[in-house]
This record gives sequence, C-alpha cells and structure tokens, in this order.
Amino acid sequence: MNVRRESLAGRMWAARWSYAYALPMMALLLVFIVYPIAASLGYTLYKWNGIGDPSQYVGLDNFRRIIGDSIFWGAVKHTFLYVAIVVPVQLFLALGLALVLNQKKLKFASFYRTVFFLPVVTSAAVVGVVIQLLFSNFGDVINNLLLDLHLIGGYIDWLGDPRFAMGIIIVVGIWHTLGYNLIYFLAGLQTIPEELYEAARLDGAGRVAMFRYVTVPMLRSVGVVILLLALVGSFQVFDMVQVLTNGGPFFATEVVNTYIYHLAFGGTGDVDPDVGLASAASFFYGILLIALSVVQVLVIRSLARRRAAK
Amino acid sequence: MQRRTLIKAAVAAAFTPALAACGSDDKAAAGSQITSWDWLVSQADWMDQEIKLFQAAHGGNTVKKTTQVTDKYPDLFALAARSGTAPDVFQIARTPTLQEQVSSGWLLPLDKWANESWKSKFGPGWFGEGGNTFGGKTYSAPFTGAGSNLQLYCHHGLFKQAGLVNADGTPQLPKTWDDVTRAAEAITNKTGGKSFGLGFGNSQGGALAWLTEIFTRGAGAVGGTNNLDYRVGKWTYSTDRNYADFIGLLLDWKRRGFIFPTAMSASDEQARAFFAQGKFGMIVNGVWSQAAWKESKFTDYSLVTLPSPTATPQGYFYYGQGSSARMFGISAKTANPDAAFAWLDWLYSKEAGQRWVKAGLGLSAYPENNDPSLVDFAPFAQYVATSTTNLPGPDPTLRNPELAKVKVDAVKPDINDVLAGLYTSQLKDVAGALSELDGRLNKAQEDGVAAAAKAGAKVSMADFVFADWDPRKPYAVKPA
Repeated sequence: MNVRRESLAGRMWAARWSYAYALPMMALLLVFIVYPIAASLGYTLYKWNGIGDPSQYVGLDNFRRIIGDSIFWGAVKHTFLYVAIVVPVQLFLALGLALVLNQKKLKFASFYRTVFFLPVVTSAAVVGVVIQLLFSNFGDVINNLLLDLHLIGGYIDWLGDPRFAMGIIIVVGIWHTLGYNLIYFLAGLQTIPEELYEAARLDGAGRVAMFRYVTVPMLRSVGVVILLLALVGSFQVFDMVQVLTNGGPFFATEVVNTYIYHLAFGGTGDVDPDVGLASAASFFYGILLIALSVVQVLVIRSLARRRAAK
Repeated sequence: MQRRTLIKAAVAAAFTPALAACGSDDKAAAGSQITSWDWLVSQADWMDQEIKLFQAAHGGNTVKKTTQVTDKYPDLFALAARSGTAPDVFQIARTPTLQEQVSSGWLLPLDKWANESWKSKFGPGWFGEGGNTFGGKTYSAPFTGAGSNLQLYCHHGLFKQAGLVNADGTPQLPKTWDDVTRAAEAITNKTGGKSFGLGFGNSQGGALAWLTEIFTRGAGAVGGTNNLDYRVGKWTYSTDRNYADFIGLLLDWKRRGFIFPTAMSASDEQARAFFAQGKFGMIVNGVWSQAAWKESKFTDYSLVTLPSPTATPQGYFYYGQGSSARMFGISAKTANPDAAFAWLDWLYSKEAGQRWVKAGLGLSAYPENNDPSLVDFAPFAQYVATSTTNLPGPDPTLRNPELAKVKVDAVKPDINDVLAGLYTSQLKDVAGALSELDGRLNKAQEDGVAAAAKAGAKVSMADFVFADWDPRKPYAVKPA
C-alpha cells in the first residue's frame, strides 16, 4: 500500500493549534532569554559601564582579562567545590530521607515532608539574612559555648574567617534545597509498582537486595533528571553567597555568579560597573561548562561502550 | 466602597492631571508631588521634618521621599535614570562620576534659578568647573561643611570599667597609637572576656579601610585610603611606611585578642549596635552614627580623631572644594522643574542647614551654622570641635578642569580587599601586597590620564603633583 507522505508545511499546518499554543512561550523565550544572550555577546567586545550605548570597543580584551584574572579562577574553584560537595551530599541525604518517608508504616509522614520542604519555599535571601544575623549577633555566644565545651581553642568568626565561611555556605545550601530533591525522589519512589517488591520478596530478596535490584534501577531515569537539576541549581549558586558573605572575606567565598554580579553592578565601594567584562566572564564560564559537559558525555559514552563490549 | 463612590473616584483621578495641566506653571508647581531619593538612613528624621516644613510653607506641594540602601543606591539610581523614572530630586550617586551623569543627560542644569545671587550665599570658591559645574552649567551645590571625616568613638562605660579614667572621673581618651593599644588591652582584660577593646563591621567591605584611614592620616600618610599623595602625585601605600606600621599594629591587636571576633562578618550597622551594647570599647565611624545612637538612647560616649604615633597629628583630613560641592540634584526628566527646585532650594537653605547641625548630623555649608555653642548634644559638640582637623587641600580638578575628563578605572583587589586579605591571613606579605596595590592604582591612574590625553584633553600626571603643599597648613589652589 502506498502511503502518501505529507510535506513538512502540511504537517505543521495540521498541527497549527499546537504551534499557536507554544507561541507565547516562544515569544517570552526570545525576549527574555535569546535576545539578552545575543545582546550580551555584543557587549563582551566593549568596555561599558551600562550607561548610554557601548562605544569603547576593546575587541577580545575582556576575555583576555577574565582568563588572566586569578579572582575569576578562584571563583570557578569555589563554585566547583560547592557543586562537588552539595550535589552528592544532598542527593544522598534526599534519597535516604525519601526512602524513610516513603514507608507506609511511618506516622505523620506528611508533617515530616512539610518540615523538610519548608526551607525550599523560603527565599534564599531571607534564609541568608537570618543565618547572617544569627552568626553575627550571637557569634560570641556560640563561641563562648564551644569554648566552654573545649570544642574550639579560640574565637571563630564563622562567616568572616576564610577557613569556615565556605563550609557554612555549603551546609546552609544543602539544608536549603534538600526538600526539592527529597520530593523528586519521593515522587520517583511512588511510581515503582508494588508488585516488583512483592515479586522480589517472594524470590527471597532482603531490604538491601530490593533497594539494589528494584529501587535503584527503577529510579535511574528519574535520578538522572534529579542529578541534572541539582547540578544546574548548584552551579547557579548566588543569592545565599551574596547575602551571607558577599563573596568575602577577600574573595574566599566568591563564586562565579557573585563575581559576574560584582563586575556588572560595581560590587562594594565606589567601583564602577563593567557590563562588558561581566558579559565576557559570563560567556567564558558558559563555554567552560559546555566544554566540561561535552567531556562528561564523551566519558559516559565511552564507559557505556566498554560495558557493552564486556 | 459603593459603586457610585468608586466611579466618582475614578473620574476624579482621570481628570485631575488634565485640569492641573490647564493651569499656569506656578499653579501647577504649587500642587505638585515631588519624588525625592536619598540614602540618608540615619538622618531620616531630619529629612522627614524638612518635608513637613516644606509642605507647610509651600501649600499644595508634597514630597514623596524614598530612602534607598546606601550601597545599592548607585545601581538603583542608574536603573531609574536609564529607564526614565528617576525621582525629581535626588541625592547625587557617588558612581558613575557626576561628569558621566551629566553627559548621560540625567541632571537638569540649575542655572534658571541658581543665579549668581543664589550661589553667593554659599561663600566664595564653592562653584567651579569639574566640581558641580560642567560646560559652564551648574548642576548642584555644597550642602555639608568640612569636619573630621571619621572619628574614634570611645564607650564611657567600658573605659570606666577598665579603669581608664582621669583624676576628675572623666574617661581617659586615647590620643596616640600606644594609648589605643593600652585602652584596648585594659578593656579586654578587665572585662573578663565579656567585652573587647576594638570592634568594627566589615561585611560591607569598608570598615578596615576606615580604621586604616584615621590612624595613618594622623601618622602623616596624607593620602589616607582615598587619595593619592598629592605631594608626589602617586599612591604611596608601599612607600609611606605608616601604612605597613599601622597594619602591623592592627594584626597585633587581633593576635592579642583585642578585636571583637565577628568583626569581619558583622555589618557596620550591627557593629554600631554592638558598640552601644558595650561589646567593645572603641569603634571608628562617622558622625552619622550619632543620630542612630541617640535614637536608641545611647549617649554615653566621646570621640577623638586622628590618633597618631605622637600626640600631635602629622597629617589631617583634606577637602577639595570641587568634590565637596555637591549633594542634591534635579532630574532632567522632571515634569515639575519649578517645584523640584523649590524643594532643592529648601534643602539648601541656611535654616535647613542649621537644623542639620542642631540635629547632630554634620556640619553645614554655611560656616555660621557650625557654632559648637549652638549644639546641645555633647558628642556632637565634640565633633564640631574637630572641624579644625579638616583643612582645604589640593584639588587637581580646580587647578585644571580638564582633569574632569580623566576616567580612572577602579582596581581589583582594592585597598578594602587587600586589608581584608591581610587581616584574615590570606595575604601574608604586607609589603608585597601594598606594593602590588600601588602598582595597580598608579597604572590605572596613568592609563586614565593617557586615554584622556589621547582623546584631546590637556592633562598629564604632573597635574596631580602639588610640590609646594605643606600638609599641616590650609592649602589654596593656585590657577595653573
């Protein structure tokens, strides 16, 4: 039987209402995502403080300055450190808590879910201000308590000491967005058919075996999405750092987004903003992340091929 | 609300602007609402009082004030100006430079109202190209007089508790670096660890520079942390040993536990509150903090300024008339220029300045307002008495107005960053860090001058050198 293939235009016309429904979103995407990205690509070639039209053309000098700036590379290091600790710890804790909260026998499960999810619905800026006030106003009280317990040997400025400030940000970051991953994992767990566990149980599988051979494989696809979202969220860390430490002391907690913000909006003191340099930093960081993602994909494919060959 | 009332209100709202537009300019100005922005947080009571008085004197005109967060003000104002929604009257943002703001068309020239007679009330020398005048047009005027920029505040209660009292029972206020060290040590030791000698709040990044500024100026580092040393026309952090000496002293205070432990993460506002609570005995701050302390009923303190290695300061604060001659401006986009100027003129009146002084907020641009005997509040009278520590100094832009075209890029890390790095031991080599900072700053200065010269401005690095300046005496800028 000959099936006449419809042309692309014909198929698009047939699905015209779908395109019409997608149009508002596409328009917003173009205006608020595509246009700013394209515009800021142009800004990377100028020295511009954001006032009037950019006129001082500097070519690729902004990129050269970013690549040669040790503060930028420090910010990259802090961002990767944040991601490297927050993502695995948070996912491990979220999965563990999700497994507990998924137990049918657990009483007040909804209450616990609410408690763990509450920080997520609280703005990071508000959380940051409260934590900052806590450590600044009661820093001496906390110190005296720890000194009395002989847990520390001297006073510590928790957010003002480079040895501790990043650690505090990481701990607060884990606590603040843990609820998201918990809910995602919980949703994933609830999609696993109960029959699979019953079958495993009949086959004599224990709790560990059921987790390994039923839960983990069934969560794999949703787990990849959760991992991706956690990575994206962590790489975007900004507001918590901005409010807690403003990237200090002496750039000890500067992450790439606060670095870009400080360039674009002038930072502290009477420093003039440099939108061109900030755009260059933003683009360069984007390219860096894309390059890393490509490497990651290639490595994963290579591993998968090797596994398949075995 | 009844539907009929709602309709009436809507009709009234729709026609009011149209009816107002039909009147004469004066009538329109008399019934205008003026929007006004500032970052005068501690001085909000004074501003609110001025608004009330202005509104009472200008029947129908109202002022809608918005006080913005200090460190975000330049960003917020720039956004408003760029989007054409700048307030009618505003405190002039520190960045971008006034020259750039004028070039961007953000400010309205005041020449329609600010004639020679209006300008003459401020005294001679306050209006000049590069200060508040650009291209022959005047955009602002001086508001505050010159007092000591920063002071070292001493908590009476803690000084007495530590036995730092004179024979007459008054607190023994420190004058030298050694005095400060002894006082800090006594307070820390004699309060049993409950209080510390010194404190500050550096989370916004500037408090360490304030400390350095007040101590090194007293020692004779005449550039402080804001200016080049105009005797040589360069930044001298590494070549003037006073900076390294003071940083060494600061680190010694930290090592000996004299400094409030959470000083690096506390904000300046928090630090001021901690000082009032007696968590530490000394803090470097500005006169603006007095209003907030007074409001919270804390008045048991004194101030000194320019503590130095010897009892007599070797350097002072200096003001250039060009840079001090601006405070408020009017938006070029204002719909009510006459009403806006009426409000601006009110703020610049001698009476408003007198109330500013009496409220203990600062000195007035009118010298006759700065009479300590008119001041009831003792700490503020002490501040007025320190006005002798601020001398007229070199002002390169007054000597060569072409320098207004020089745009010097800020450097990173700057003095605030370097001090934070040294204080937190992330930078170990004081001399090396200061030398690198000098290198960055002097290169930025030279690059700025070179770029302006290339664009046709008649400028050179020599314009920043005032070889005949004796920092212990008032300096009158001579024309080039």
